[in-house]
Amino acid sequence: MSAQKPAQQDEDPLEMLAGGISVWVGKLNEIVRRVVDDTPIRNIINWGRIYSMWPVNITTACCSAEFGAASGARHDLERFGVLPLGSLRQSDLIVVEGTITKKMAKRLRMIYDQMAVPRYVIAMGDCAISGGLFHDSYSIVNGAHEFLPVDVYVPGCPPRPEALEQAIIMLQEKIRHSKVYSQG
Amino acid sequence: MSLPLAREDGIIQKINGQFSNNIKQTRIIRRSRPEITVGPEKIREVATFLRNELGFDHANGVSGVDYNREGRFEIVYHISSMDKKDLRDLVLALKESTPRTAPKVPSLVSVWPGVENFERETFEMFGILFEGHPHLEKLFLTDNWDGPPPLRKDIRFPTD
Amino acid sequence: MTVPEKPLPVVAMEAAQAAQSGPQTLTVSVGPQHSGSGHMRLIVELDGDVIVNASPDPGYVHRGIEKICELRNIIKNIPVIERPAIIDSSNLNHAYINAIEELQGVDPPIRAKYLRSLLNEMNRIMSHLYWLSIFGVFLGHTTMFMWPLGDRELFIDLAEQLTGARITHSYIVPGGVRRDLPPGFAEEAVKRTEYFEKRLGEYDKIFFNNPLFTSRSKGVGILPRQDAIALGCTGPTLRGSGVDVDLRKDEPYGAYAKLDFDVPTRKECDSYSRAYVRMDEMRESCKLIRQIVKDIPAGPIRRKAPIVLPRGEAYGRVESARGECSFYLIGEGGDKPYRARFITGSYRNMAAIPVLLRGGHLADMPTAWWSVDYWPVEADR
Repeated sequence: MSAQKPAQQDEDPLEMLAGGISVWVGKLNEIVRRVVDDTPIRNIINWGRIYSMWPVNITTACCSAEFGAASGARHDLERFGVLPLGSLRQSDLIVVEGTITKKMAKRLRMIYDQMAVPRYVIAMGDCAISGGLFHDSYSIVNGAHEFLPVDVYVPGCPPRPEALEQAIIMLQEKIRHSKVYSQG
Repeated sequence: MSLPLAREDGIIQKINGQFSNNIKQTRIIRRSRPEITVGPEKIREVATFLRNELGFDHANGVSGVDYNREGRFEIVYHISSMDKKDLRDLVLALKESTPRTAPKVPSLVSVWPGVENFERETFEMFGILFEGHPHLEKLFLTDNWDGPPPLRKDIRFPTD
Repeated sequence: MTVPEKPLPVVAMEAAQAAQSGPQTLTVSVGPQHSGSGHMRLIVELDGDVIVNASPDPGYVHRGIEKICELRNIIKNIPVIERPAIIDSSNLNHAYINAIEELQGVDPPIRAKYLRSLLNEMNRIMSHLYWLSIFGVFLGHTTMFMWPLGDRELFIDLAEQLTGARITHSYIVPGGVRRDLPPGFAEEAVKRTEYFEKRLGEYDKIFFNNPLFTSRSKGVGILPRQDAIALGCTGPTLRGSGVDVDLRKDEPYGAYAKLDFDVPTRKECDSYSRAYVRMDEMRESCKLIRQIVKDIPAGPIRRKAPIVLPRGEAYGRVESARGECSFYLIGEGGDKPYRARFITGSYRNMAAIPVLLRGGHLADMPTAWWSVDYWPVEADR
């Protein structure tokens, strides 16, 4: 936080001021993190995150049919706050639905890198856990954990919409008990 | 057995009548499934005759088969007709063979424009070159697989 | 290989640089992460707002099913070949079994044929409803997203009572089907199809007669009749251009030879006609379901069939929800296929997408290409 100035550099008063401010801001950052994470403010921030988790508009493979059915009328994911609205930067969740080919894996990683923190990953379906039914194919990646940090795994081929709802609830539990700055 | 297959016999006779020496083999597998085998050098003429004279206006698909024990690739065009109502259930298999070491056949995109994507896929899965094809490049495997054509029989995978 | 491989552009910047040497068009990737694209990419070249060329970039869901089929025995392949069109899985299953039974010389009992057609028609309705709901959400009509998915659950319940699974039934096996009709199924099926036909009238009111939809889809995405035939298009895409080809009438399989139904076609060749053909097909499927549960004969549901694929070739085909699905199976006497070539309706219709989109506006793209019902998972296999 505080930069070590080499002895031969000129003492520019503006630079000294900037250095001082950066030290002050850094210390303030530490104080905010400590305050937020150890007090009930954490619960409020996590409550906001839990009940509006927006997934990215990307479908990976055939489990997307059950994700669509889960967003539909009988099993309504919107009551959990899960709405595929907005762009990449406004989304918090990637649901990796089904088999991941190498071609799609490259794009999924690009999408994950562009999302703003905090971001969560649900691996839906047997193919996203371990390759599933197509594990011996030449063009797939055996599992989402090979290139993404997965939070919840949902087994099934395809998982029922109720299983996906349970996964969302488990993810909500996980976020409720985690620190606010756990991802940076 | 001959009366129910009169339609298929009629088609094969017309083709034989036009290209007598160039048809290598004909066969009727069952009703509505005749099959003719030609050499790659004659296939464009045969295909144009089939389209213009006999009314086979579209291709259902193109399949490559690797007969590695016989040292050849076989390319099968399944063609059928929509405008001729009495031929709608008939699927004619138009086959040609090419040696496995240097596989090269003429493309039939000028005859049936629908085979463009099928020939691209056969090229990337087997390595067969289709001469005269407008965009002979990879279709499905662009970022998926970098090795040799995967559907060849000598490409083995772990659970084999 | 001596043919140089041109790598396709990954991001729009590279694509724009690639296109700069030619005429001044902008290349846009409507890519897999898009609320209007599904699991595929369309590389669209634009001159202002008009699409000059649109080429699909498939392969995002290419799992190499044809190679997998050569590694597993014929029964273990059934779940694998069902997955491409998972919302319409029993039709693909039926095509595969048609080819196997032809090679084995097995003829299933008549009750099994009726049960197969029953599941096929339910899957046709389920697939068309899923298509309709995604059509709604592509155009921003969220009620049209919710209603069809809710009505689809009616038929998913029926399928679950019959087969045990929601969408991946694996119900049709060589020699027959796996389970019989449960008690009370016939009354349930009649009740639900009658309710559903009333709902179709409500869909007309909010969507198909809605000027917001008709102005976006009439006259958009014209596929002329001769092009549709020459490109080998199939299914409702073809029937929306005035060609009345339907394998259930032209080469009857299952119980269709004994059932009474019409094949809806429309002549206008635009997106609206392709969409409305599917609505009419759903009405016909309801009629078929009621006929089947009324006329189904008694008898066994399965005949013994060996787990062996004899030497020979067979071409089995079926009219699935998106068109003709065909299997070209070559057996060599073992229990694994020597070659299982698999061509689906969406793969054949992929050739029509550039023709449909050329000359239209970019804003018409979701309407035009989704009316073809191109399901990328099925095309990539």
